Amino acid sequence: MSKNLSKLLALVLALAMLFALAACGEKTPAAEQPTEQPAEQPAEQPAEQPAETPAEPATYTYQDSVSTMATNWNPHTYQTTDDSYPADFLRAGLYSFWFNDELHPVEGKEPYTGYVIVPEMAASEPVDVTEQIKAERPEFNIPESATAGYAYTIDLNPNAVWEDGTPINADTYVYSMKQLLNPDLLNYRATDYYAGDLCIAGAENYALQGQLEYSPIGVSTSEFLAAGGNVEDLLVDAYDFWNADASYTDAEGNALPQYVSVTDETVYGENVDDAFSGKQLYDEYLGAGAAYEAYSADELYTITGQYETGLDYDTTVGCFKSGDYQITLVFGKSLAGFNLLYNLSSNWIVKEDLYEANLSESNGVWSSTYNTSVETTSSYGPYKLVTYQADKFMKFEKNENWYGWTDGKHVYVDPEDGETYPMYQTDIIETEVVAEAETRKLMFLKGELMTYGLQASDFATYRNSDYVYFTPSETIFFLILNGYKQAIENREAAADFDTATADLQMLTNLNFRKAIAVTYDKELFASTVSPSRSGGYGIIGNAYIYDPDTGARYRDTDQAKKALCAFYSVNVDDFGGDLDAAVASITGYDPETAKELFATAFAEGLEAGYITDADNDGVSDQTITLEYSMSSDSDFMTRTIDYLNEKMAEVTAGTPFDGKIKFAKSAPYGNDWSNKIKAGLADTVLGGWSGSALNPFGLTDLYVNPSYQYDGQWFVSDDVDMTLEVEGEEITMDIHRWSDALNGATVTADNGKDYCFGDGIADVETRLDILAAIETVILGTYDYLPMLQDASAALLSKQVFYVVDEYNPIMGRGGIQYLKYNYNDADWAAYVAAEGGELTY
Amino acid sequence: MGKYIVKRIFLMLFTLLVITLICFVLVRMLPPAELPLNDPHTKIIELRREAAGYNKPYLVQFWIFLKNVVTKFDWGVSDKLYFGQDVAAIFLTKLPATVIVNLYSIILSIPIGIALGVWAALKKNTWIDYTISTLTMIVISVPSFVYAFIIQYVLSFKLGWFPFLMKAGTDWLSWGMFVSMLPAVLSLSFTVIAGFTRTTRAELTEVLTSEFMLLARTKGLTRAQATVRHALKNCAVVVVPAIFGEFIGIMAGSLVIEKIFAIPGVGNLYLNAINGRDYNIFMLDSCFYTAIGLAAGIVVDISYGFIDPRIRMGSKK
Repeated sequence: MSKNLSKLLALVLALAMLFALAACGEKTPAAEQPTEQPAEQPAEQPAEQPAETPAEPATYTYQDSVSTMATNWNPHTYQTTDDSYPADFLRAGLYSFWFNDELHPVEGKEPYTGYVIVPEMAASEPVDVTEQIKAERPEFNIPESATAGYAYTIDLNPNAVWEDGTPINADTYVYSMKQLLNPDLLNYRATDYYAGDLCIAGAENYALQGQLEYSPIGVSTSEFLAAGGNVEDLLVDAYDFWNADASYTDAEGNALPQYVSVTDETVYGENVDDAFSGKQLYDEYLGAGAAYEAYSADELYTITGQYETGLDYDTTVGCFKSGDYQITLVFGKSLAGFNLLYNLSSNWIVKEDLYEANLSESNGVWSSTYNTSVETTSSYGPYKLVTYQADKFMKFEKNENWYGWTDGKHVYVDPEDGETYPMYQTDIIETEVVAEAETRKLMFLKGELMTYGLQASDFATYRNSDYVYFTPSETIFFLILNGYKQAIENREAAADFDTATADLQMLTNLNFRKAIAVTYDKELFASTVSPSRSGGYGIIGNAYIYDPDTGARYRDTDQAKKALCAFYSVNVDDFGGDLDAAVASITGYDPETAKELFATAFAEGLEAGYITDADNDGVSDQTITLEYSMSSDSDFMTRTIDYLNEKMAEVTAGTPFDGKIKFAKSAPYGNDWSNKIKAGLADTVLGGWSGSALNPFGLTDLYVNPSYQYDGQWFVSDDVDMTLEVEGEEITMDIHRWSDALNGATVTADNGKDYCFGDGIADVETRLDILAAIETVILGTYDYLPMLQDASAALLSKQVFYVVDEYNPIMGRGGIQYLKYNYNDADWAAYVAAEGGELTY
Repeated sequence: MGKYIVKRIFLMLFTLLVITLICFVLVRMLPPAELPLNDPHTKIIELRREAAGYNKPYLVQFWIFLKNVVTKFDWGVSDKLYFGQDVAAIFLTKLPATVIVNLYSIILSIPIGIALGVWAALKKNTWIDYTISTLTMIVISVPSFVYAFIIQYVLSFKLGWFPFLMKAGTDWLSWGMFVSMLPAVLSLSFTVIAGFTRTTRAELTEVLTSEFMLLARTKGLTRAQATVRHALKNCAVVVVPAIFGEFIGIMAGSLVIEKIFAIPGVGNLYLNAINGRDYNIFMLDSCFYTAIGLAAGIVVDISYGFIDPRIRMGSKK
């Protein structure tokens, strides 16, 4: 009987297993796709189907993956790059960028090495009507001296329609702008149309109606009071100065506002052990004669007004209808040429009926569900959304009402065969959320994804694959070195810090910092810790273009090369005057120099009393442990710290710091890591900045403006003078002013004259000279040691290929617009099956 | 019994309220997601937060929250992940995927787990028992996401039996959907099967050595009859409540599994809400899991009374 019971149990088990595996033989959804393409698989045609049945056209499906699915692609409210994902498929700008080819040649440029800007949702180039608008519409306050660049009429593409055929005309644009700037809606994207280069006249005043306006006092507290200012009028920017935020509350739980009156004695922050009041900040730090009065010009504010309420859109905002298919844009500051078209390559229009239907208000807060689902989305681009499942899947198909299919303009000449092809060969785009990189890799190798972004562990296998593409990006990662003397002294004064065995003050020694700077081979570092990246040498990366018309990169200029040679002490004469050879020789690694510098630093450290050598063995008694300000722990962090320690040990061997310098991980600080560095409470970290790829000049502000600087507490850019000869004239001023002047502000130099070296005002060579000089000064602080040039690497499926291999900073490799297919869906399925269902790259 | 159930439900609601209050206050005490310094967009976000009541005292905020939930089932709108969208609506669209994957997992696990447990108990101290017990210990020690990757590699990549991810769509009960869910279901089930096996074996082993089992055999029942009629029934007093407990356990375990297999469920939503600091979604998800846990506790307790008549609920005698 016991035998029977065992059999019974075995049967139950077998049934359960059968239940689990019953469907193993079923085809996956992906495997089912080819069956939808009978024309490509005649063998699978049903027998009864007549042979004469016309073959269905081949289908080309782009299978993509994302780690986070877009949830809100409303052009007025989207916030993240994940959310902007559908925009390329569903929308089009007034102007768009195409590769230069035989149909769109650019003088002096080989095909596919540059780009052209063509009217897309516009019908033609913008027409400058500054003089006319200045005369007819004085409410827009176009400067009297301005003759161009402030107002344009733009003829709209009359063939542009929404996916349901509804026309898109001037009313659409004006309605959409009005909603975008609607002060009740508080749309996230509203600022894009008044706070940057693209500044629609009156947009800010209209969008911020009723809000208070704050302005920094711009002078010291003493000067402000001497000029008749009242203390009662002053407010301190607590978010910036005290590094506080809304989590700081008062005793009643009210959150800290950004601006606090300096007479306000309300204490904020007892809940986070960092309490203060506005009055305390003023009395102890920013008041007349207080320790940090020098910061008062930027940290103390007055209310300079309140945005007017009850404004009428038509008489306030410089975006209005000037014809059924023509709009006029008026700008608050001039915009012309490339920058004008570049800024108009995105679009703000929304479909009125859908938009209205999806607006709602709750407790005074307006929300919109426009562009959050298929039902709330209407396309006017080459594709339309047909399926959407939040956090899961989205599918796009060709929008048959898109004008581009029939206008005869959306074609290109292939650089290989010289034939003309229509753009957008892809019929269907399927995008699925795949959170894990390992899953993405397996799917890619199964032929189910078009690309796979390589992980560090993949490089050994795929680095030399014919299908791997490297894509540089703007960010440079540098090792930030703590130089905040006061903070370091405070840390050393702590009870648990044993100055007999440990030291931090050496960090403030310039030779010590220089030695660290030449301890690491940048390329080796990159290949060890992050193989998709490359070595970083300057604070401005390889991807920045200073001349959008030619695509010329800053890093390729003589000025930039000389800046690197100066920083790395490379003598160009040693290379026969060949600047390129001199730059190519730079690795960042110079162990002999590093040893000499460590020895010098040791002597200086002993003299300064930072370190001791009680036993006279020529080795520091103290160990210098640099706390790495870690946001969260990861394999990358471990590799980085290990590499830094390993190479430091190699270079310091035989020096007075032999085994005495160590990098150690901090506790995970989360988003507070940068605050720790800025406050000198941590000693180093790999940090980075990136900016607009088309404006390297704008980066200088990040290194001279205390609001951005990592080293703002110990490097005061206002105190660092720089002298340059510009057009035969020697000009001296601090680098903060040089930076401001470079970015379009008019500043007064030490000679009392006003200067501005902004875009379109100074010649480009002068601007490059200034940029390189500022870079040299910043590198010379040794606060930032460039380490990594950011980049990514991805495998591309054999099913497709790029029309160009070379990466273009503006065009990329052409995107979905130029993507070409080696196999249609059916052929691809057959190919994958023939390869045993597992592809090799 | 009725009075006892009402009392437990009342206590459950009170506990839920207290946990919700604690969660709410702790969450609101956390700083809102940082805004980029000097980014002009931050002004708009700050204005929205002000309008949403972020700067009011916590208890005032909680009162508003509670009033909206109770009177309108309004859990607020997402201010990060699904900007401006109704949190409750998002949650409800995601609930079916989580529930169905967990149900499949339970349905698969119960028979296998119990069968293995019974087999091991009947073959106590034989190689079968040792094998099952050892495997059970190994399987129970390995987290479910490890199985997920193994299953993806072996069954989906190498053998091609299953898709890598759960199928898109909302046809939850279709065959295609069932097949696409199986890798996730299997990943979740291993640990649960091991749990049931261990519980069943332990309980049944004890029951089989009881004196009443000897009596059953001496009065002429076969071993199978005695086991099925007497031993398994007694064993169920422990095993059946464990099923409810396991359901909660699977729900927790499915947080990571949902991410790996792209299951658009509330577990994945919970993780995203925590990472993205979307507090309204976090609150709804937290309340959901708390409520499920509390409800399961009641069901387990009450189930004892039904399964074993000797157990009396709420009796003062």
